[in-house]
Amino acid sequence: MTFMALILKNLVRQRMRTALTVLGISVGITTVVALGVVLSGVRQTASAVLRAYDSDFIVAQKGSSDLTFSIVTEDEVEALRRRDDVADAVGALFHVSRVGGNPFFVMIGVEAEDIVDQGPQITEGRRIQPGADDEAMIGSRAASTLDLDVGGTLETEERDFTVVGIYKADNIWEDNGAYAALDVVQEIAGKPNAVTAVYVKVAQGEDPDAVADRIEDEHRGLTSISSVDEYSEVDQGIEIMDAMNLAISALAVGIGAIGVMNTMIMSVFERTREIGILRAVGWRGSRIVRMILGESLLLCGVAAVFGSALGVLASRMVLLIPTVRSLLEPQYEAQVFVRALVVALIVAIVGAVYPAVRAVRLTPMEALRHE
Amino acid sequence: MNDGRPAIEVRDVVKTFDGGIIRALAGASLDVGRGEFVAIVGPSGCGKSTLLHLIAALDRPDAGTIRVNEHVLGSDRDLSHFRAYDVGLIFQLHNLLATLSASENVQVPMFETSRSAGQRRARASDLLSLVGLKGKDRNTPTKLSGGERQRVAIARALANDPSILLADEPTGSLDSAAGKVILDLLERLRTERGLTIVMVTHDPGVAARADRIVRMLDGRVADAGTPRERAAAPSAAAAPSDHREASDTMEAAPG
Repeated sequence: MTFMALILKNLVRQRMRTALTVLGISVGITTVVALGVVLSGVRQTASAVLRAYDSDFIVAQKGSSDLTFSIVTEDEVEALRRRDDVADAVGALFHVSRVGGNPFFVMIGVEAEDIVDQGPQITEGRRIQPGADDEAMIGSRAASTLDLDVGGTLETEERDFTVVGIYKADNIWEDNGAYAALDVVQEIAGKPNAVTAVYVKVAQGEDPDAVADRIEDEHRGLTSISSVDEYSEVDQGIEIMDAMNLAISALAVGIGAIGVMNTMIMSVFERTREIGILRAVGWRGSRIVRMILGESLLLCGVAAVFGSALGVLASRMVLLIPTVRSLLEPQYEAQVFVRALVVALIVAIVGAVYPAVRAVRLTPMEALRHE
Repeated sequence: MNDGRPAIEVRDVVKTFDGGIIRALAGASLDVGRGEFVAIVGPSGCGKSTLLHLIAALDRPDAGTIRVNEHVLGSDRDLSHFRAYDVGLIFQLHNLLATLSASENVQVPMFETSRSAGQRRARASDLLSLVGLKGKDRNTPTKLSGGERQRVAIARALANDPSILLADEPTGSLDSAAGKVILDLLERLRTERGLTIVMVTHDPGVAARADRIVRMLDGRVADAGTPRERAAAPSAAAAPSDHREASDTMEAAPG
């Protein structure tokens, strides 16, 4: 018999309690994984949005609670474009409206010339032409969801567009939306002479960070964003989700640890006499601690695997909701599962410490007398 | 190790419980020679089981010293090594782990050794054969008779080759036939392995199998002698009353 086999036997003999404890911890791990997977998807999308138009960073209105609320004037876009340290600046207006069953369909307005030069990769049809106000390019996912082909009509709440091209974008947000001429989107959004954000490509030899700092110094109402972590400057959504993820992880640790502690305390209490026997035949206190910690780690390890599988399943089930499917694409990054494992590990250690200490503080005789 | 000293030296040992309300041992002293078989008898509450538990290092004395082999038990910080290697314990109710097989129960003390899992299993099998339980390695305690369980407990006590066996009422829960098998086994082990045996019992018939009988009274050793001397001594008349009173085992209050 190995030490591990003994640990396993100790858990198996109380099957129902072991199963319920694993289930309890698994629920916490499931939440951590599901939320982590979704958050990774959101961050990945945000990161892809930042990298559009081969830009080094984007510039948006400082203090916006959501990126789509940001307003940068066309004069400011022009001022950025004219700078010596900037190679190019593309203004884009994001307008969210209901299209078909998707209430979060994003219409992206960009100068037609910019679309021709640097727009997304066309897979069918062509790009919109300068001056063509009724033309739109639609993302491949949106085309699939709305069952639209080149030549079809994209019906938004405000007006109809002829689909002249279908593009493939590397982020779900853009791939589920459509491009139209900037002045058209400004008109339907009711934001004349304004864009949401400016994609800035710095001039050759310039340091993007230094350029971003100079722009912020010279345009007090604007802020630059070069990474997802800086997104909170214009969008608290990711920050809120990050905070939620942290809070839920902490809750999962707290609730899980209490559950494990309860199970281990009951288990140790019931086995006090057995522990006395083990001490009487020569087991060191450290081996008793290792046995209890081993049981706790095994419980939480199984829960980590089970909970992670449930988390993946939950994230897949959430995608069955069309609105959600159009907004995010879960990312199954290793760090999400590592976080779940860390949570399980903390739960195991915290939950086992008190029962283990209690078990070894008794003398063998005190333990043997236990009824 | 034999430096001429007794295997066990107990000097003026005091042990109280419940904050001093119960005085189980009140200055008990006892020597046990190497290879000697000593039976401790006495009425319930006289301190015989408490003395055995202190010799086994299951608890610490309030005062006095206990030396077992080279260990002075009061001063050793970690007594686990002593319990694992120097003494083997046999309890009245065997105290086997119910979820483990006979072999696994015997292997439990060996976790503190460097033996591999295979070596532990092989040694457990040898020890079970030694106590007459060949082929019952996989039986859990519920599938063994009372006498067989006690033999598993003896095999477990021998797991790490101790030089001393400490038995607390080893036949107390057995019928006379099963009790005789256990006593025969203990005597054989003592002869073959040169073991020192200290046995607590309330049964004069069982005590008579020992080399020397130590009678305790009120937490002290009252007298001692060979079974023949004890039978001839006037105090031997007390034996039936010792028998009449319930023994103080580990399952009862401190004895």
